[in-house]
Amino acid sequence: MSGYILKRLGLSAAVILTVLLILFSLLRLIPGNPVTIALGPQATPAAIANYSAKMNLDQPVWIQFATYARNVVTGDLGEDIFTGRKVSTIVGEQIGHSLLLMVAAMGWAIVLGIPLGCLAAVRPNTWLDRITGVLSVGTIAIPSFLMAIWALLILSVQLRWLPAMGAGEPGDITDQAIHLILPAFAVGLGWVGYLARMVRASMLEVLGEPFIRSARAFGLMPRSVIFRYALPVAILPTITLIGMGFGGLISSAVFAEIIFARPGVGKLIYDSVQARNFPIVQGAVVVTTALYILVVLLSDLLVSWIDPRVRHIL
Amino acid sequence: MTQITLSRRGFLASSTAFTALALAGNLPTAAQAQAEKVLRLRMDGDIKILDPGYMIGGIEIEAQKQCLPFLAQYKRDGNTIGWEPTYYVTKLEQRDATHIDFELAEGFSWSGGHGALKASDVKFSYERMKGTEWGGYFEVLDRVEVTGERTGTIVLTKPFAPFFLVTLCHGPGAILCEKAVTEAGGRFTTQFPAVCGPYLFNNAPGQAANFLPNPEWTGPKPEFDGVQAKIITQVKATELAYEAGELDCTQIDSDAVARYQAGPPAGSELTKAGELNFMWLGMNTEHPKLQDVRVRRAIQHAVDVDSIIAAAYSNVATKSCGIVCPGLIGHRTATKFYTYDPGEARALLSEAGVSGLKLTLRTLNTQQPMLVAQIIQANLGAIGVTLDVIPLDAGPFWEMGMESAGETWKDLELWTMRFGSVPDPYEASQWFVSSQVGNWNWERWTNPEYDTLVEQGIAESDPEKRNDIYLRLQDIMEETGAYVWLCHEPRYYVHRSGINVNVSPSGQQDYRLFTSI
Repeated sequence: MSGYILKRLGLSAAVILTVLLILFSLLRLIPGNPVTIALGPQATPAAIANYSAKMNLDQPVWIQFATYARNVVTGDLGEDIFTGRKVSTIVGEQIGHSLLLMVAAMGWAIVLGIPLGCLAAVRPNTWLDRITGVLSVGTIAIPSFLMAIWALLILSVQLRWLPAMGAGEPGDITDQAIHLILPAFAVGLGWVGYLARMVRASMLEVLGEPFIRSARAFGLMPRSVIFRYALPVAILPTITLIGMGFGGLISSAVFAEIIFARPGVGKLIYDSVQARNFPIVQGAVVVTTALYILVVLLSDLLVSWIDPRVRHIL
Repeated sequence: MTQITLSRRGFLASSTAFTALALAGNLPTAAQAQAEKVLRLRMDGDIKILDPGYMIGGIEIEAQKQCLPFLAQYKRDGNTIGWEPTYYVTKLEQRDATHIDFELAEGFSWSGGHGALKASDVKFSYERMKGTEWGGYFEVLDRVEVTGERTGTIVLTKPFAPFFLVTLCHGPGAILCEKAVTEAGGRFTTQFPAVCGPYLFNNAPGQAANFLPNPEWTGPKPEFDGVQAKIITQVKATELAYEAGELDCTQIDSDAVARYQAGPPAGSELTKAGELNFMWLGMNTEHPKLQDVRVRRAIQHAVDVDSIIAAAYSNVATKSCGIVCPGLIGHRTATKFYTYDPGEARALLSEAGVSGLKLTLRTLNTQQPMLVAQIIQANLGAIGVTLDVIPLDAGPFWEMGMESAGETWKDLELWTMRFGSVPDPYEASQWFVSSQVGNWNWERWTNPEYDTLVEQGIAESDPEKRNDIYLRLQDIMEETGAYVWLCHEPRYYVHRSGINVNVSPSGQQDYRLFTSI
């Protein structure tokens, strides 16, 4: 297991380095001088020279990248163009809100999607299976931003059942939970469908396996066969899907954070792109990428812990 | 296996229990709302730099107005914008063209035990501004003489008529606590080192800016105990938040103005703050295709501004005839050298011997400027001019006429532009002087009379003479043929009928001056 962990960690580091390189190159390809953007077109030559030196922009590009990569490794993501505050502090203030939204969205998708998938698999080709299928495909097909707008218009503006904007009063957990309902619903709905489809397909495959037939032949209770023997095996690809889906959740969260005016990394990136605040864009993307890789790593480790056979596949 | 059943009786009992719980849960909130009168507003972004010397402007100025002292504030008299002393002063008088005497009111003190508000704070704040990014507003300031604990004189190097409106009433006129700012290292970002206003500032990044009651405040009590300014970047989202009952007042877009004028949300009213934006179609007079003034005149005659206002601004914007905005000295209500006349436009092109003309128009890639560009494209198409619209992101757009930012200025032909102003005509006019060619005068014409008039307008204190100066100055601009004036976009706010909003002409809300009926 430790060998597997080491290999996975090495692979994760390589992916992060590649992302850093691509991100660094892309930001330098965007038209417009970052110094002019930061200081405004009326900046004096002295101010431009000072700022260029401070941002390391007077160095060759490869040195700029090496310095940047070294700083990132040591946790220094640079400074906000406008306030001079540390990017790590600014991202740190926002990341919790995004994580909460993603966990809530995926949480309710898991709670609903996995049982739905199980039900559909246990009763294949029945009305329950068909309804689950239609609902799953329907929710997958609706973009999360559209779902967010509908939910907002109906549940907040028309019915006024739920708050429309913000993340709730800081320190008031109930208020924060209420403010989380709509965005989590909008972001998580598509995942109900994904998970239900995935669990159904896996369950059908596993339920046809010889060890399940043996379990049934030994007279085990149907519930026990499904939950103790079939589901733990069928859930493996779902765990991988959840891990891989974290990236998709981040992009859905961007929409939700903008539409519901929630704080979060997605909104931070959006606002920073608008303001051409590249250090924040860079820092926030690096942090979310690292988080994504961490989640994928954890899901892979979980799968390998449940099913030791996958440790040999890398 | 246990089955979950729900009888009719059970359903009724559960519903009643849930309703009772919900009501019980709401009671404390309702009681609290009665006890504390909180005003809920919108901010369009996070507070970045509260320091008046280094701020971005806009929302930061809103925060400064609640927490820092000012000597003067805007006063609206019908459509005219003027100024009046704030409650921080007992005297604010222009002794002569270059001396302004002030006396601070007694009893105001800075938070955190930083002592009383003193004339030395005014001296520190204003003289400090000269060396900051907003130093242009204090270019004519020579010094502030402190004549007593609470008295002093602002000394200008030369007469500067707009000083009260554009400097003292605006964000750069904020007074800081010398002791606290010095202790903070001379600059600050997202927290005030000390406040002297009815509210304390509490920032929740990405969420809201909260203005809480200042327990040390001895001045007039504001109508609202607290203000919560929620950060909502998208203006459409803010309209939804208002309609969902989560805001008491918010700025809205032109299309929403038209919709709300036809039928506002229940219990709501609209208030127009001001129209301090001016929009125009610019032409590069040095470009080979546009060097002939007859070609530029043809374009002036070809553009149907009324259609632009109807289609892109839902008929809520005021037709523009110059750079000076409505409500200010020197505002023009008619153009002098052109009207919409496609026939005249074709005749001028023919006279200039121009046919098959192809031009480019650069514009911001957002919805409204794109709509404007498409209408202009159709208008010019009607006189035989082919127009390619080049949509640009904000970054390259705002530097395309800057000589310091590359070579794009040489290729510039037409563009749509929008400048914001302050409540005095001097600011709008200063961007078109000869020295601004290659900087902000992207039309690239020079006129010595214009340059002289700008200087005269700044120094002149007689309103009638100033009016004549700014009218003449705009005639010169129009005569170059380099401008098609488009419109002045108003800032509209929708708010609950029970609230009187106080918004500066440039759109900053002054929460402490909001009242309720």
